[in-house]
Amino acid sequence: MRLKKSPWIYHVNTGSCNGCDIELLALLGPHFDVERLGVKLVGSPRHADIIIVTGPVTTQAKDRMLRVIAQVPEPRVIISLGSCPISCNVFKGSYSVEGPLDKWVNVDLQVGGCPPKPEAILTGIIKAVEILERKREEEYYV
Amino acid sequence: MIFFYTLIFPGVLFSLVVALLLDGINRKVVARMQRRRGPSLLQPFYDCMKLIKKDNLINKDARKSVFLSAPVIALIFACIIPCFIPIFKHNFIRTSSDIIVIIYLLAIPSVAMILGGASSGSPIASIGSSREVVAMVAYELPLVLAVLSVTKAAGEQFPGGVTFSLANIQMYQSMYGPLIGEWVLIPAVIAYLIIIPAKIGISPFDIAEAETEICEGPLVEYSGIYLMSFKLIQWIKLFIMTSLFIVLFLGGSGVSTGIVGVDLLLNTLIIIIVSIILMFISVTFGKVNMGRVKSNQLFKFFWTVPTILSLISFIFVSFV
Repeated sequence: MRLKKSPWIYHVNTGSCNGCDIELLALLGPHFDVERLGVKLVGSPRHADIIIVTGPVTTQAKDRMLRVIAQVPEPRVIISLGSCPISCNVFKGSYSVEGPLDKWVNVDLQVGGCPPKPEAILTGIIKAVEILERKREEEYYV
Repeated sequence: MIFFYTLIFPGVLFSLVVALLLDGINRKVVARMQRRRGPSLLQPFYDCMKLIKKDNLINKDARKSVFLSAPVIALIFACIIPCFIPIFKHNFIRTSSDIIVIIYLLAIPSVAMILGGASSGSPIASIGSSREVVAMVAYELPLVLAVLSVTKAAGEQFPGGVTFSLANIQMYQSMYGPLIGEWVLIPAVIAYLIIIPAKIGISPFDIAEAETEICEGPLVEYSGIYLMSFKLIQWIKLFIMTSLFIVLFLGGSGVSTGIVGVDLLLNTLIIIIVSIILMFISVTFGKVNMGRVKSNQLFKFFWTVPTILSLISFIFVSFV
């Protein structure tokens, strides 16, 4: 039985401007409808397979984000969404920003853009499902 | 034979497969009604296989023994109930008062969910547990009244004027026609259909597992196979409620060819198809069209509309 059809997503906001979050939610609507791939937005990190992180990790959000990610059971995939987690974008150099994200966790996949298009996020999720599948088969552990 | 009944045919394996099928159809129909493509029909099977392979995390504040045994106990009791519901003329486990047994066994998964949520050491889960208690108190009274009016209506031919045996109720209906045709029981039918979504915790009555509000309530700390067991119980309960409806109000399915095996297969298929139709009427339609009610609204609603409806039926059946 193919297992790669059931990725459940948990969404963490680490001080994002909400642009990426709105684009992510557009995916769940009737136009893109990621539920046809089995994607479900879950409310608890313990139910999730894929964690999507938006925002330039702020000082306040950093510890919470690490705690949330530690609560996601293995195998898991971490996606960074937008330019902020990659490079801190326009917030770079701010006293209250501790990004980029890969300073703190192993990021499996990065989707760039400010904000990224829903099509790009969709491609990212499909790629993440492939990584998830490889992790399930225990080919490699991060 | 009892092991075959409890483990395979009307018991564990069969009810699991039917539950997953009902879940898949429900998700697909909801998606089509919202003009989406929707997941494939087998999506719940994929979800289950995934959750089995996933890690189990246990909160360090959780009371481990209760936390881990609650989903197992709930699943076992939910899977036993289909054995008490007759398919055609086959009673798999025959008792003289099936209905009382079924009503009590149906309460056990909810109680297990309350215990599991309360023992998981999370404040969100305890909110969910307390809401589940409110929902149980709200829907049990009209459910029992609706079922009692059926036992009273079908029991006029039996000693004592009341029968709690599903086989007797089915026999009465095969002689005098299905009870849904009697106008005094129409309010009870409506009340029963309103209760189904509350009993299994589906929108608009999903106050305990409010996904967007309290992150699935009692299930918030569960992961992996334990989460899967609670997710399955919802849909097993739906199948039990709809097949109970078929026996109580429609007189059971009654296709007979003379060969036991073929009879059983045909009647099972009919029960599954009627269950899907009933699910569409009472669960899917409400889920798509209505938002979630608050817990005080749910309590007020259930102790007024369905209670009065089933009380009307009960009074008319008993005294007129």
